[in-house]
Amino acid sequence: MIITKTTRNQSILAASLTLLFSSASVMAKSDNHKMHKLYQDNCASCHGADHGGYLAPALNAETLKGRSPTALRSLIMTGSFETLMPPFYGRLSDSDIRDMVKHIQATPKLANPAWTIKDMQASLQVYVKDESTLPNKPNFKIDSMDDIIGVAARGKYGRGQGSEAVFINSKTHTIIGKVPTVTAAHIIEFSPANERWAYVKTDTAEIYKVDLYTMQAVRSIKTGLNGPGIGISRDGKYLMAGSFVPHNAVILDADTLEPLKTFELEGIDPDGKMVSSDSGMIIGTPYADIFAIALENAGQVWVVDLKPGFPVTKIKNVGRHLHDAFLSHKGKKLMVASYDDSIVTAIDLETRKIIKKLPAGCVPHVGGGSVVKVDGHTLGFGTNFGTCDKTVVSVWDLDTMKLVKQVPVSGGTESPAAHANAPYVAVDIITKDRRARTVQLIDKKSLEVVKTLDVGGHAYFPEYSADGKFLYISAGYAGDEVIVYDSFSLKKMANIQMESPAGIFSRGRVKYMTRGLSPDEME
Amino acid sequence: MKLFAYACLPVLGLSFSLNSQAASIYAGKSKAAAVCAQCHSIRNISAEAPFPPLAGRDDAYLQLALKQYRDKTRHSDIMNNIAGSLSDRDINNIAAYYSRLQP
Repeated sequence: MIITKTTRNQSILAASLTLLFSSASVMAKSDNHKMHKLYQDNCASCHGADHGGYLAPALNAETLKGRSPTALRSLIMTGSFETLMPPFYGRLSDSDIRDMVKHIQATPKLANPAWTIKDMQASLQVYVKDESTLPNKPNFKIDSMDDIIGVAARGKYGRGQGSEAVFINSKTHTIIGKVPTVTAAHIIEFSPANERWAYVKTDTAEIYKVDLYTMQAVRSIKTGLNGPGIGISRDGKYLMAGSFVPHNAVILDADTLEPLKTFELEGIDPDGKMVSSDSGMIIGTPYADIFAIALENAGQVWVVDLKPGFPVTKIKNVGRHLHDAFLSHKGKKLMVASYDDSIVTAIDLETRKIIKKLPAGCVPHVGGGSVVKVDGHTLGFGTNFGTCDKTVVSVWDLDTMKLVKQVPVSGGTESPAAHANAPYVAVDIITKDRRARTVQLIDKKSLEVVKTLDVGGHAYFPEYSADGKFLYISAGYAGDEVIVYDSFSLKKMANIQMESPAGIFSRGRVKYMTRGLSPDEME
Repeated sequence: MKLFAYACLPVLGLSFSLNSQAASIYAGKSKAAAVCAQCHSIRNISAEAPFPPLAGRDDAYLQLALKQYRDKTRHSDIMNNIAGSLSDRDINNIAAYYSRLQP
């Protein structure tokens, strides 16, 4: 609501300005300024602050060339079914929608906008000045803090009152607390060192430091304009965040959120071209005091040592268009998905060298990945984003780094969930038709799909509770609820209402590193 | 409680289908998800959205409104368009579904 009001004030301002200065050039300039602001306030969190695309397609003069303005206008009015695009009818005026169509069809992709360490410092907000005044235990009943599951609720418009991190007790399936995030929450990281702290990153690159004991944000900082990448070091002392817009990353003090060092993401890609790069996954590992970050377009993984100066080791030629990754072998092996050459590259974080490039399905998107121990073998599960003739989930033996099986599934998949105590690996089918309502379950032993759950909405990001007894799944997009199943009987146990739920993150993950492993593996 | 409400739906649907209206809550659910929920959501409308919620509204009112929109006796560009594709049966099913849903 606040946003709508500001938009209205803006348009009143713009209208009065045009009355004051009747010269055409001034009018065009203020209109352009108004449309730029309207774009940033309504579109940029998904389509990119630079018009270059992010979760949603790029909206600029080049990508929209030849598109019918009428079709674009009606798409903005009604939203796009089976995507996250909401209807802007009644939220933006008809003339604003018409002007927006003109604006995006006339605007070229913007040059990498600046967001410097100074901008970050200036954006730091402190909501609780003296953290020592906070209670030293949770102000709600819970057996173990590991039972907390956090859900990134996007909100219908990717911003506003529905955008929040929702924390749930995964034994009682009740909401403990909600932390508003202004724009869509995307990733929730839990501190491995202190159970009270969680960090929520939004699509507009704000990071909230959240006190789970009192369910409130204590600080926030804006680390960029778009980008979900965030990782936490094993000692809980450092965060690293990376952006799509602009192409940078930053190491923060996890306690104060103060930025310590920024990195420009650029490098020579596997085809020999020097490129500026989006930030892909960022991961801390229980194996060492390091962060690993994927440079999406440069095809490199950088390993940053958490010591003075934060030196970087660059691992080149990892793949073409890297995205996400998961850990195995006590955090020593890193499995990185590479979209364009359909491989998952195994990296040894000790030698900082590529172990092997493993075949995946089409457009591998491993989400948080899953690793399970079956009959003495360490099996890794990799999902694949693309919809092609052969939709599969890859299973690799991570001890020998060999492909074990490509398990046929009914469509493209985005994120696998597993738990040491649960019999199935759950994968979310995301192909844009009725299949998107479903999640398929792969039996750990037979490596076959044994069951399809009709969850509803756009069903994605399955996650097991820390004890493995319950399977949480987002009925996302307009589904507006999280559904909880019994992991064994697959009976529906609860549904929890929230606006456009997406990623689900169990605090148990800090114990088992990658979903599917037992905490014993970590000792 | 909501789980309980869900469990009741089949029973209601069954008893309802015995009379001449023969509205199907299941068909209504799938039609609502495909046609209405994009704007009106399922249970709770977004605090940010300018659309009226439909869950728990009166069955007869929902039917009347949808038929008026479809037949263009009630005017709204967007609703005339969207309701225009619905049959009487669709409308009965959608109204039966939304009216029985707890907001």
